[in-house]
Amino acid sequence: MSMNRALTGCVITGPFEHHAPELAIASSLLYQSAALGIKIEPSESSSENAALSFEFKTPHTTPIICDVGKWSDASRQALATENIMQAACGLMSVHGRASGKYRPLGLNYVSTLTAALALLGGVAASIGQLRGLSVGHSSVSMASAALLSLGQYIAGATASESPEALFPGTISHGHHPPFVSLDGVFFELETLNAGPWQKFWTEIGVSSTAAGKAWPAFLLRYATAISPLPSELSRAISNLTYYCISQICSRTGMSICPLRSVDDRAKDDDCQHVWHQGPWEFVFETSPGGRASSRASTRVTGDLPLSGFTIIESCRRIQGPLAGHLLALLGATVIRVEPPGGDPLRGMPPMAEGCSARFDALNHLKTIREVDIKSPAGQAEIKELVRHADVFLHNWAPGKAVLLNLDDEDLTSINRSLIYAYAAGWATDRAAHCPLSSMPGTDFMTQAYSGIAKKVAETSGTHGGSLFTVLDVLGGVVAAQGITIALLNRCLNNVGAKVTSSLMGAATLLCADDFHDVYNLPATTRKTSKSIIDKIYDTKQGKIAVECCDTATLIRLAEVLEIAIGTETADSEDNLEVLFLSRTATAWAEVLEEARVPCAVVIENLADLQNIAYLKASLSPGSYTSVNSPWSFR
Amino acid sequence: MPITVNIPTILRPLTNNQKRIEISGFNVLEVIDQLEHQYPGVKEKLITEGESHSFINIYVNDDDIRFGNGLSTQLRDGDSLTILPAVAGG
Repeated sequence: MSMNRALTGCVITGPFEHHAPELAIASSLLYQSAALGIKIEPSESSSENAALSFEFKTPHTTPIICDVGKWSDASRQALATENIMQAACGLMSVHGRASGKYRPLGLNYVSTLTAALALLGGVAASIGQLRGLSVGHSSVSMASAALLSLGQYIAGATASESPEALFPGTISHGHHPPFVSLDGVFFELETLNAGPWQKFWTEIGVSSTAAGKAWPAFLLRYATAISPLPSELSRAISNLTYYCISQICSRTGMSICPLRSVDDRAKDDDCQHVWHQGPWEFVFETSPGGRASSRASTRVTGDLPLSGFTIIESCRRIQGPLAGHLLALLGATVIRVEPPGGDPLRGMPPMAEGCSARFDALNHLKTIREVDIKSPAGQAEIKELVRHADVFLHNWAPGKAVLLNLDDEDLTSINRSLIYAYAAGWATDRAAHCPLSSMPGTDFMTQAYSGIAKKVAETSGTHGGSLFTVLDVLGGVVAAQGITIALLNRCLNNVGAKVTSSLMGAATLLCADDFHDVYNLPATTRKTSKSIIDKIYDTKQGKIAVECCDTATLIRLAEVLEIAIGTETADSEDNLEVLFLSRTATAWAEVLEEARVPCAVVIENLADLQNIAYLKASLSPGSYTSVNSPWSFR
Repeated sequence: MPITVNIPTILRPLTNNQKRIEISGFNVLEVIDQLEHQYPGVKEKLITEGESHSFINIYVNDDDIRFGNGLSTQLRDGDSLTILPAVAGG
């Protein structure tokens, strides 16, 4: 086995020295391409209707033109920035549930997601070409990427039975994670079981009743993006030092992680390696007799680039199932392995036609196979499935694959062309060598450890990260990317592979530019600058997000409002706040869009998304509103 | 002692699609045993080796029984027992 840049020999061509707001997309795309060994060739022009357009080509395919639009409705010309998209598609609403405030995430989240999906589209289309599909274009948009990230939340808000009505302003905002100690350390706690939770709070001095009332709120934060905890808990814990609390954690089986900065993370031994490597680790099969079988060049069986491929998925919760969902959207047949009786999350409210809407949003395209993977018979059944499959994907806890006799070596020995994919929390499946192995690699712990939580807190005016599952979603996209890249490599070089991705890798991807700065590397073409105005305003009805990235936009805003605005915004803030109260958000959006000022009506209730004309193309009505594929191919 | 049991969708195929069932019992285990008597198959979906499954939450009114006396949690006339799947992790 040897480690390689997976797409050495491939080329990406585009106008990457672009100006804001597409800069963040281009920057992430370049980072991902460089990590994969793709040669980058700058060009002059971009497609007029796209935020960014680039070509992706392999040594054996014609170029795939990848258009990155702003809106799913290509005819919509309204300007869009990262934060405007977060406002327009409901991300601010979900992120703001915990704090009660409509604030941006403080991350180039939609841009990073868009870049990852755009590159994935180009790679998938190339696979389609190699397998006989006539395809030359792949399109995605920032809006479709943003909506994809919210698929589960939109399902919950629109389910036919008791839909959730969770949005800032309707929720009681008590105390919620992160916690703070007597000596001022902000930290996350994590356990997936009630036992350690109960023992921990008993030692802290909290009543069992209060701990019991807090448990469902704590557990459900992954689904609801809120976690209102009784004040008794935060009061009790704030009387103890961080050291004392961590000692109690050790005794009770609770996990704890302080909120670290990106600078702290950059000093970790593995960080620079992870940053250089990108969010995927590829190990290609090179042993004698390790060449892939003729399966590697299976021809497409439908209109989508991955049709004809079979994926076996043994995953729970969000990251892994989302990866499988994306591969299904690209045409693959996904067989989802669930325990006998089915995944318990199928019954999690709110329901739609007998199944959890949230669960169905990620799994409705898959074929279900109930298998007891802990039994020898179940393991044999998995091996038989894998014998005829192209990809095996799991997100088990570190070390579990070995215990189940379903490790990469177990499965590649029966199918040399297999892509063995692990969607991890931290970066490795080798539990014994992982310094983080004692902590569950969940979204909120990874946000805390990676520096994401602190970065979000600094921008959002909160104490910690987002209860929107920032890393589970990006981690799912990164896992699907890794698998598709390994499939392309298999088509080109006829070798199987093991590909590992992780929530930590996704966090590194989100902060790639920060690490570039921390490591004092030579300046690139990145020219980041703070917007002059970047704010949410109350209006006569609803809220409007407005962003002026430069002086020219600020002048256009001043002209349309018929007021004088200085570049020192403090003087103008009060004027603007009063002025925006004079019309509805919809009326302001019309006026500002006409003046080419980036703006959007802030989505407060996700159920309203399905009524927005320019987002309808990305959504499908039904027993809950589902999010369509972010890609279109032609 | 009538207790109202709120049946989750996933168990309704076993309870003739009933959403709520009135049943008697002095504690949670007795109620589940009564349910099993009337609707065979329910108990194994809720309990293993004398304890509730880790992926199932059982509430008496608003209280998770694991933070009370577990399956021995006493019930009073008019209490409601709710069964919900647990979600954990991302």
